Order: sequence, then structure tokens, then C-alpha cells
Amino acid sequence: MAAMAATAARPDRVVSLREIVADIPDGSHLALAGFAITRNAVAFAHELIRAGTRGLTVTQVFGGFETDLLAAAGAMDCLTYASGSIDRFGLLYAVNRAVLDGSLALSEYSGLALALRLHAGALGLPFVTTRSMLGSDLVAPLVATGQAAEIESPFDGAPCLALPPLHPDIAVVHVDVADRAGNAMVGGPVWSIPETARASRMVDLVAEEIVEVGELDPSRITIPGLLVHAVARVPHGGHPTAVYGHYDFDAAHLRQYAAASNAGGDALDAYLDRFVRGVATFDEYLEEVAP
Amino acid sequence: MSGEEKWTRAEMLAVAGSLQVVDGDVTVVGLGLPQIAALLAQRTHAPTVRLLLEIGVFEPVPAEPAMGIADPRMWKDATAFASTLEVLGVMVHGGRVSLGLLGALQVDQWGSLNTTEVEAPDGSRRRFRGSGGSNDISSNASRTVVIMTHQSRKFSEALTFLTSPGRRIKEQTRATVGLPSQGPCAVVTDRAVIALTDAGAVLESVHPGEQPDTVLADTPIPLNVPAGGPKETPAPTATQLALIRTELDPNNWYTS
Repeated sequence: MAAMAATAARPDRVVSLREIVADIPDGSHLALAGFAITRNAVAFAHELIRAGTRGLTVTQVFGGFETDLLAAAGAMDCLTYASGSIDRFGLLYAVNRAVLDGSLALSEYSGLALALRLHAGALGLPFVTTRSMLGSDLVAPLVATGQAAEIESPFDGAPCLALPPLHPDIAVVHVDVADRAGNAMVGGPVWSIPETARASRMVDLVAEEIVEVGELDPSRITIPGLLVHAVARVPHGGHPTAVYGHYDFDAAHLRQYAAASNAGGDALDAYLDRFVRGVATFDEYLEEVAP
Repeated sequence: MSGEEKWTRAEMLAVAGSLQVVDGDVTVVGLGLPQIAALLAQRTHAPTVRLLLEIGVFEPVPAEPAMGIADPRMWKDATAFASTLEVLGVMVHGGRVSLGLLGALQVDQWGSLNTTEVEAPDGSRRRFRGSGGSNDISSNASRTVVIMTHQSRKFSEALTFLTSPGRRIKEQTRATVGLPSQGPCAVVTDRAVIALTDAGAVLESVHPGEQPDTVLADTPIPLNVPAGGPKETPAPTATQLALIRTELDPNNWYTS
């Protein structure tokens, strides 16, 4: 009997962005991983809006540009976050407007508390405890909706807050580079990306670059391919947000978006018509925004 | 304005905020003026202050102004890139942070903060950023300092939303609630420095050119005045102003 070769077969997880979006039904629970003006999965958000996907629940520790785009397009019914902004360019105006008019249900946490819920989801923990949020107005609405419980430590009786694990359906993360099996690297700080991916039942990646299996240094992998469902290559797919080591944020475009989002109504529709719904692909959008 | 050297109110705020930083502090900084105050301290009297950003950045030494903590300019010369669980978890919740520098929309006399939502006089609501790491930092850092502009609507005994806990929370002590540290120790504004103690808020100093009575009138929370009146906050030095204007905020994003 011939010996098996010492190379394992690695699944090829490379697909198109359109295929990733086609696998996301209306009403899915998405986990997003951008932070304000950095590393947002903008190409993915565009494709999702063009596909007309509706009724999404979104979990994201630190909301940003991509979150506001989905709110602007009316794609989200529920949002779970710890905060959101587009840094000094502005607030998540479309998100905030939808929360106030009742069209978007919001669950709010502290940054650590939501990261801990994802951490518990990632590890399969029954629940996790923290001192964060104790005494604050963040607690009561979470307790009322079964998202937190005030308990005493079984060991020393100290007050603490118990938080249940969180298991989003699909995480979408914009990464620097992935190999064809989905092993992916994220450079720079990673905020809540690791537990956001690991808590989710399925992980889809959008990558600046895709290489062959074996080309990446295993000691620098942020997300193991074994957890990944699919990866699509979209260079510059985070525009207008920054992707560390690849490109800066586009200040002029972020200002333009912030003004449209703050104005809402026709101004925001005109933005979406021109830059999202009015183009067929992210490449067309990049041509549209090129100076 | 006072003396030969002129400065803006926001410059005065950045300088007064920086004076709250003690050399050697391990500090988590929020977006905006807290960022400028921390960097000014780092360049002047507190060269060994260690900065942390909740996005997962350890000990950055930013060389140019940044649009916020998600702007990679703010991460320059960091010693480590890590995660939120490491900064807000290991460092903040783990009790390894001595100072948090935070902004706020609204503050009460115990230093509890609202960064979530405010109500206009006509009853309409406006929503802002939410907590992010603010609650974690207020709950767990050894001490925190609030840095904000001074408008009477920003001081309230009854916050619209209590995002981050102060020294007392709805008549309860932090220990009763289950919080480990003393919490906020000062509110620094562009007009005054208000010390926060377990006995209440104290008008510690007013900035050059400010009258204690008018500051008190514009601070609608219970506010004690020390016997002999508040001190005068030290005026910005030429060195501090030059650093702000030429290096930390040359485009006047924060200190105009």
C-alpha cells in the first residue's frame, strides 16, 4: 500500500463577494467587525444593500461607517453595540435617527461587556461575569430583555453582572490577506475582531489579497481557516475607511457621507443612489470616487 | 484672555486637563480633547505616562494629529497592537489602569457621565456615541478625569442617561454597587477645575479671567466652595501653547 503524501488536502474557500451575499438570507444575525473609520467591510455592505437584504440583526462592538450605511439603506431591524461613530467626521446619524423613530431596536452595552458576550459565545461558556455596567442605566433594559442578570458571586457574594453568550449567524471581517483556505491575517490593533469571528456560526472574509496555502506565516494568523466559510478578494474593499498597512481613510469622502447621513432624506438617498445602488460592482464605485 | 500670552478656552482646557496626569500614570484616553491633554502631559511634565487605546493599542507616541482613536495616526510608535479584551479587559477590568481621561455630554456632582443621549428643552431626544469603553473605564480605573467644555446644560443632578458611574450612583456608594475603585476625581472644563470627593463636588480652581460667582452660576449641581474661595488655575505656559499649536493640534481640530 502506498504511503499517503505528507500534504493534507486544503479546501478552497475562495468565492466572489456576490456569492457570499447570496448566502445571507433576510433576517440573518450578522456580526460586523469594523471600528468607526477603520477596517469596515464596505464592499460587503454595498453588495448586501444592492441585493436588497432586509430585516438584519447586526452585532458590532464599535459601530462605524458600514453600520450607518446599512441603517441608511433600511437593511437592519435590530442593532447590538457598545458605541458608534465615524470619529471626528460625525455620529452614526442614520442609526441614531432610526433608533429615535423606532424603526431600529437597539441593545446597548459597554465595550468590554459586549466583547465578553462574544468571548463567551466563542468558547461555548454558559455565561460570563463582569463588574462593568453595574449601577449604570445600561443594565435595566438588558435585564428586562434577558440579555443580562444581576447576581452575587457564588464564591464571595460580591455583586456582579452575568451575561449570556452571543452566537451571531455570520461574521464578516475585512482582512489584509488570506490564503485560499481562509487562513487570514489582520495587521495593526484587532479590537474585537478575534471574538467576533469566533463567536459566529459562520465566518466570511473580504480580503485585500488572496495567496496560496502555505504562503502565510502560521504564527501571524488572526483567524484560522478552519473557522472560515468563504473568502472573497476585493482590493480597496474598505474604502473610505482606513485599512492599516494598506491605505488611509478618505477624509473628503467621509465628510461627504457624514453630511448626507446627517441631513437624511433626499440627500442620503442621493448618496446611496450614486455610490451604492447606482453602481454594479465595488470597482465601479472606486472609479466613481477616484479624484 | 489674560496676561501677555493669549490662548483659547479649548487650549486652556487641554492644559488644565494635562495637569491631572501624573508622571507614570497608565492612562486610557478617549476621543478628542482627552487625547490632546494626555499627549500634552506626555510631552511636558509626564514623559513616562503610558497611553492605552481601547481599540487595542499599547503605548503609542503619536507624531501628528489624529481624527480619533480609529485613525492609524494615533497608533504611531506603539509598543504592541492587541485587542479590546486586552485593553478594556486585562488592563482596565484587571485593575492595571491608574487614570482614565474621558469626555462627556453631561455630568452629575458625583462624576457620573452621560455619553448616550440628551433631551432638548422641547422634549426631543438626541443620541450620541454611547459607552464604548467609557463605562468600563469609569467602573474599573483607579481614578478618572472628565474633560469637557463648560455649559450649564451639561451639569445635571439627574442625568438623562447614566452611561458611566461616578463616586455615588443614585445615592449608593461604589462599593455597595460592586465597583472596585474610587472612580472620578475631577471634572476639568474650559472655565474651572471641579474636584470630586466622597463628600461632593468642590470648585477647586477657576481659570485665569474667570469669576468664581459666574462659574458657580453656570454649574447647576451642588458645588462646594473651599474656605477662602477657589484658587486660580495655572495659566498655560508658552511651551504648552507652542506644543499645542505647532505639534499636537496644528489644524485647530480640537483647540480652536
